[in-house]
Amino acid sequence: MNLRRLYLPLVVLCAWLATVPPAGAHRLDEYLQATRLSIDIQRVDLEIDLTAGAALASNVFAWIDTNRDAEISSAEGDAYARQVLRSVVLKVDGWPVPVTLAGASFPQFRDMRLGVGTIRLRATAKVPSAAAGRHQVSFLNTHRLESSVYLVNALVPENPRIQLGDPRRDRGQHGLTLDYTVIADTPSPLDRTFALLAGLAMLGWLLWRFGYTLTQAVATRSRPSPAGRR
Amino acid sequence: MRMSRPAWAALSLALAAAAFRPALLLVFPVAADSQQRAGSPPTAASTANGTATAAVTTKVVEAANAFLATLSAPQRTKVTFGFNSTQRTGWSNLPSGIFQRNGLRFGDITPRQRQAALALVAAALSREGYQKVTDIMNGDEVLKNAGGGRTGGRPGGPGPGGPGGGIRFGLDEYYVALLGTPSAIEPWMIQFGGHHLAINVTVVGPHSVMTPSLPAAQPAKYTLNGQTIRPLGRENDKGFALINALNRGQQKRAILDYRVTDLVMGPGADGKVIQPEGIPASELDAGQQALLLDVVHEWVGILNDEAAAAKMAEIKANLPKTYFAWSGATQNGGLAYYRVQGPTVVIEYAPQQGDLDHIHTIYRDPTNDYGAKLVRP
Repeated sequence: MNLRRLYLPLVVLCAWLATVPPAGAHRLDEYLQATRLSIDIQRVDLEIDLTAGAALASNVFAWIDTNRDAEISSAEGDAYARQVLRSVVLKVDGWPVPVTLAGASFPQFRDMRLGVGTIRLRATAKVPSAAAGRHQVSFLNTHRLESSVYLVNALVPENPRIQLGDPRRDRGQHGLTLDYTVIADTPSPLDRTFALLAGLAMLGWLLWRFGYTLTQAVATRSRPSPAGRR
Repeated sequence: MRMSRPAWAALSLALAAAAFRPALLLVFPVAADSQQRAGSPPTAASTANGTATAAVTTKVVEAANAFLATLSAPQRTKVTFGFNSTQRTGWSNLPSGIFQRNGLRFGDITPRQRQAALALVAAALSREGYQKVTDIMNGDEVLKNAGGGRTGGRPGGPGPGGPGGGIRFGLDEYYVALLGTPSAIEPWMIQFGGHHLAINVTVVGPHSVMTPSLPAAQPAKYTLNGQTIRPLGRENDKGFALINALNRGQQKRAILDYRVTDLVMGPGADGKVIQPEGIPASELDAGQQALLLDVVHEWVGILNDEAAAAKMAEIKANLPKTYFAWSGATQNGGLAYYRVQGPTVVIEYAPQQGDLDHIHTIYRDPTNDYGAKLVRP
């Protein structure tokens, strides 16, 4: 057997071990994709944070740095962000809704190489039906399934009219399905108070402006005319 | 009935007054609210606790001033930041060389100054909390000596301390910073941390708040001076004790049917509140609730006893709305993640990448991180 054929894998392995930073046990061979969904009546916002393990960083960087100049340009970053979003399916009430990129930031390759640099993508989708009642949102991320681990969570809605149901996920957290209810937009007690106060103020003004004149006019009409006296 | 012009005017004025009086109350509710608050006299217990917490603040302020007195003017400049500066969120679990901390690096100060800094940390924390902090730091020194830090000063990289330097571990790589001026009245903050440790203590008058903080450990078990140390051993054991105290039906509610591979609310997740999952404590019996509170106390009790007691009382009051969620093995020694989430507390315990020897945890209060409830903007 050719000795060179034996040594070559060994040399490659040694070279790999020498270059992978032994940063404690920081993320090594996994691509962590953590998503947070924020549900509002007319939109769903997505925060997707992607952290490549040290052993994967070169691959991930190469996916993004397509012109191989060792830097992520804004066009390259944008293209990669859109590629990730193409792997994302967001449905509301069973219907796919387009997800629009709202922002993206990329770490330095140096940080990525250590397994700690995080790519942060922000995206948003318009919800077609904002009617009160029950709705369902489902999210699925299949970007780089072969090397990824996933986290997906819904944020507690800031809008008090939205109530979340129990979430359902697959074991690997690629996706999340969540029922939610939009409560009808009834005026708040504060709104009702202000409406009542405004009404009273308006009535007061009307009485002030026209009340005396009106009663005077009525009184004048009901008084017997001089002709009648005759 | 006929009314004169002045009578109409009086009626209109009365209606307008009826409309505007409540409106004025709506616009200026503070006076009414403060009267209400002034009306409820403090209880003997709250007065006693208030006196005790004020005494703790005095002790912490004295320790901070004693530490500052050991420093040169340039060092004092380096360690001090504005209370509202961006330094507040400048913490991480990552080691030096990956994350650049600010403040004074332990490797750059004298043993006397280091001792004074540690005395300040000890004054703000409980005895057990300070022990936990030193166990985590000593663990990092063990990691360094075991070769975890062998990338330090990598050829071609800048020297220690400079941006872009190699990854550095060990006792020299912990940093202390003060935000604001140590005071018994005005808000200020102690920030202490390094690899696997971020302690943020906000002091506002007699109150101390320790959220957000990140105690972590690697190795999770080591030997020092013939003693076996597990910095987060109780967090592990108490978690397993609780999940095993639940009956089958309760476990079904508590155990998530998916893997959780990392902290969900780790560094950078300030201000986020995720949907709670798992079993609510309202469905636990008194014994199980006591076990849950015991788990929570492992994080809350890092802070000084007086502040921790107040925080535990708050968490206990919200217990019915507090959830316990579990993912992974239920036999102690297995790999498991857990989360406790209530209105004023979020705790996560997360082994990293399937490694039982590398644990990250986080402790937050979504309503009061960095003392947000106590500090007027």
